[in-house]
Amino acid sequence: MSAGGGGGGAHEAIPQNKLIAFGVIGGLVGIYAAYFLVDIIGPSMSFLGALGAICSIVWGASAVRRVANYGLGTGVPSIGMLALGIGVIATTFGLAVGGIAGPLVALVFASLIGLVVGMLGNKVLNMGIPIMVQSTTEIAAAGALTIVGLSTSMIGTFMFFDEIVNGVVVAQGVASGVMTTGYIAVIFIAGGLAILHPYNANLGPDEKQDRTLACAFEKGAIAMILAGIVATITPFASGSITILIGIAIWYVSFSGYYKRVKRDAFMVTGSGLLPSKEELE
Amino acid sequence: MEPLTGMGVMALIGAAATIAGASEDLESDVGSQSNPNSQVQLAPQMMYPHRIFNKAISGEPPSNALICAIGGTIASVLISSGASAVLALTIGAILAATVHGTYSVTSYLGRSASQKRFKQPIYLDIVRSHVPVMMGYAFITTFCILVVAYLMTTVLEHPFSLPLLAFIWGITVGAIGSSTGDVHYGAEREFQNVEFGSGLNAANSGNIVRKAESGLRNGIDNSWFCAKFGGPATGIAFGMTVFLSGWITVVFDASQSDALGWASIIAGAIIVLLLIIWNRNIEVAARNAYGPYKQDEEAEVAA
Amino acid sequence: MIDIVGIIAEDFLNILLITLGGMLIALGVHLVPVGGAPAAMAQATGVGTGTVQLAAGAGLTGLVTAGFMMNVTESMALIIASGTIGAMIMISVTMIVGQWMYVYGVGCPPASAKVKYDPITKDRQDLYVSQGTEGHGIPTASFISGVIGAGLGGLGGSLIYYSLLSIENGLPEANFIGIASIFAIGLFFVNAVIPSYNIGGTIEGFHDPKFKKFPKAVLASFVATFLAAIMGVVAIGGM
Repeated sequence: MSAGGGGGGAHEAIPQNKLIAFGVIGGLVGIYAAYFLVDIIGPSMSFLGALGAICSIVWGASAVRRVANYGLGTGVPSIGMLALGIGVIATTFGLAVGGIAGPLVALVFASLIGLVVGMLGNKVLNMGIPIMVQSTTEIAAAGALTIVGLSTSMIGTFMFFDEIVNGVVVAQGVASGVMTTGYIAVIFIAGGLAILHPYNANLGPDEKQDRTLACAFEKGAIAMILAGIVATITPFASGSITILIGIAIWYVSFSGYYKRVKRDAFMVTGSGLLPSKEELE
Repeated sequence: MEPLTGMGVMALIGAAATIAGASEDLESDVGSQSNPNSQVQLAPQMMYPHRIFNKAISGEPPSNALICAIGGTIASVLISSGASAVLALTIGAILAATVHGTYSVTSYLGRSASQKRFKQPIYLDIVRSHVPVMMGYAFITTFCILVVAYLMTTVLEHPFSLPLLAFIWGITVGAIGSSTGDVHYGAEREFQNVEFGSGLNAANSGNIVRKAESGLRNGIDNSWFCAKFGGPATGIAFGMTVFLSGWITVVFDASQSDALGWASIIAGAIIVLLLIIWNRNIEVAARNAYGPYKQDEEAEVAA
Repeated sequence: MIDIVGIIAEDFLNILLITLGGMLIALGVHLVPVGGAPAAMAQATGVGTGTVQLAAGAGLTGLVTAGFMMNVTESMALIIASGTIGAMIMISVTMIVGQWMYVYGVGCPPASAKVKYDPITKDRQDLYVSQGTEGHGIPTASFISGVIGAGLGGLGGSLIYYSLLSIENGLPEANFIGIASIFAIGLFFVNAVIPSYNIGGTIEGFHDPKFKKFPKAVLASFVATFLAAIMGVVAIGGM
C-alpha cells in the first residue's frame, strides 16, 4: 500500500481517552438499549444497535489513525483485518457463552486477544511501536462491538441461539440469523472498512483528526444502512427506520466531511491546469 | 448432477470470472488503486502535482470484498423475499457500485486535501468524470462475481452461503488484480517517460507521467492503456483460478468415490506442475531475449 | 450455561489441530514471495501486492475448494488435500500471469537481488537486476517457494475448517457451516497479519535471509491461535 505516516504521534484535538469512552459506552448502551427496547417497545427500536456500532467504528478509526501514523511496514489495511479477525472470533465466543452478558464478554475477550497479539508484536516480532499494544487492543475491541452492534440491528437481539418454545422458533439468534445466512460477511467487511478506510483515505502530512472522524461517521452510516436492508426480512428488527436514520446520518456526516475537505485543501476547483512552477516554489 | 451440466456451469462460471477479473483491474486503473497508487501519492511531494485520481480504499482485496459482500447480501435478501435471481443480482450489484462510489469520492477528496503543503489541488471535474466510470466497472465486477457465487451455491451445491462466497471471491479477485494487472499500470504506464525494459529506478520515484496524448493525463487515459494488456490478463488469471479450482472437482466427482476425489487432487497437482514448467520457460526465454543489464566484472578480470 | 471445561477436554484434539493449522498458515505466509508496493513498479522481486492480501486470496480459494469437498466426502485427508491444491492453483496462476506482466508488459527478466545464484536453477541473478531496483519478476526459486507457501496456507485453513466442523454438538453440520467458515476466515486473517509484521513488507521466498525469522512468527501465531481455538471450540461445541 502507500507510504505510512512520518512517525511520531498524531496530532489530536480530541484526546483518545474520550474517544475510547465514546466507543465503549456508546457501543454498549446502543446494543443493550436495542436489545431491551425491542422487547419492550417493538422491532422498530433495533436501529439503536447500529448507532452503537457507529460509536465503536469512530473509536476504532481513531485508534487506527494513531497506530498507523507510526508506519507499520505493511500498509494500513492489515491491522484492520487483524482486528476484525479477532473481533469475529471473540464475538462468536462471547455471544455463545455470555447470554445476556454476551456483548461484554465479547468486548473483554477481544481486548484480551488484541492485547496478546499486540504484546507478541512488540516482544516477539520486535516491532517496537510504543502504542502497538494499546492500539491493537482498542481496534480489536472496537471491531467486536461493531460486529455485535450491527448483528443486533439486523435481527433485533444479540442472543446467540434461537429461542424455541414448544418446538416453534419464536426469536432468531445470531447463530442462525446472521452467521448461517452469511450476512456476517457483510458485517465483517463493511464494519472493518469503516474502521480502516477513514485514516487510509485521509493519509497525508496534512491529515486532520476531525476530518478523518467525519469520514468514519459517514462509513459507519453506510454499514448502518446495510444492516437496515438485511433487517427488512427479519421479523424482530425493523429495516425502514434503520435505513432512514442511516441515510440521514450519512447525509449530515458527508456534508460535514466535504466542508472540512474544502477547509483543509490547497484548492478546490471545478477544473484547471496544474499549479505553475512559481506557485510550487 | 449430470457431468455435462456440471461442465456447462463451469464454463459459464469461468466466463463470468474472466469478465470480473478484467473489469476489476480496469476499475483499479481508472481510480489508481492499491500499490501503484503509492507513486501517485508520492508525486506531489516530489513537486509533481497531477490530475490523476487518488483512490485508496484500504487495498484492493478488502475493497472488492466489500462490494461483492454488499451485492451478495442484498441479492440474498431479495431472493429470500421472492425476487427473481436476475433482478436480485442486478440490484445487489447496483447498490454495491453506489457504495463503491462513496468510498472512491471520500478517498480522492481526503488524500488530496491531506497534501495541502505540496499544493495538490482537488479537481471536481475529475470526481465527476471518474466516479461514474469506476462505479460502472464495479457494477460489472460485482455482478459477474455474484453470478459465479450464485451458480456455485445453487447448481454446484456449495455449502457456503451466497454473501460469504461473494466475499471470498471478492478477496481473491482483488488479490489477483493487485498482483497481476496493476504491475502493467505501476511499472509501465506510470513511467512511460523512462526507457522500456527495466524496473523503476528508485531515483525516479514519484516522477510519474502527467501529460497525456492530449491535455493532462488522468485515470481514464490510464485505463485505455491498461485495457490492452493488464486488464485482459487479469481476467484470464481470475478466470483460470475459478475455473481450474472448480473444474478438477467437477470432472473427478468425489461424491461418487474417494478414489475419484484423489484423482481430482492429482489433476490439480499436474496443473500446478505444468504452470511451474511454463514459468521456467518464460524465465529462460526472457533472460535470453533481453540479456543481462551489466557485464560480469569477475569474468572480465579472469580473462 | 455451557460446560466449558467439559467441551475443552472433549475436543482437545480439535483445539490442537486448529492451532497447528494457524501455525501452518503463519509458516506458509513466509514462503509466499511478495514484493509489496515496490514490486508493483518492478522495483522488488516477488508478486506486486501485500503479504496479507495474497495469502488471504490463496488461502480462501483453498477454503472454497475444501468446503466443496467437505460437502461430498468424509475423508479428512481428501478435504485437506483439496484445500491445499485449491490454494496452490490460485497462487501459481497469479504468479504466472504476474510474470507475463514483468516479461511482456514491462520488459524485464525475472531476477532476485537477494542471492547471486538461484538456489534451484543455479542461474546467475545479479547481472539481470536492472539499475536502481531490488530485483523484479518471479524467478523459479520464488515461484516454487510461493507454491509451497500457498499450499501450507490452504492446508492450515482447511485443517481449521475441518476441525471446527468435526466438533460433536448434536447438530447437523449444515447448521454451523456458516459459523465454522467465518471463524476460519477470521483465524486466517489473524495468522496472515502476524507473519506480515514479521516480514515487514517484502520477502522473496525461502532463500531470502528474512525467512530465517519465521520461528518467531510461528511462536506468536501459536499463542494467538491457541487462545482463539479454545474460544471457537467452546462456541461451536456448546451449540
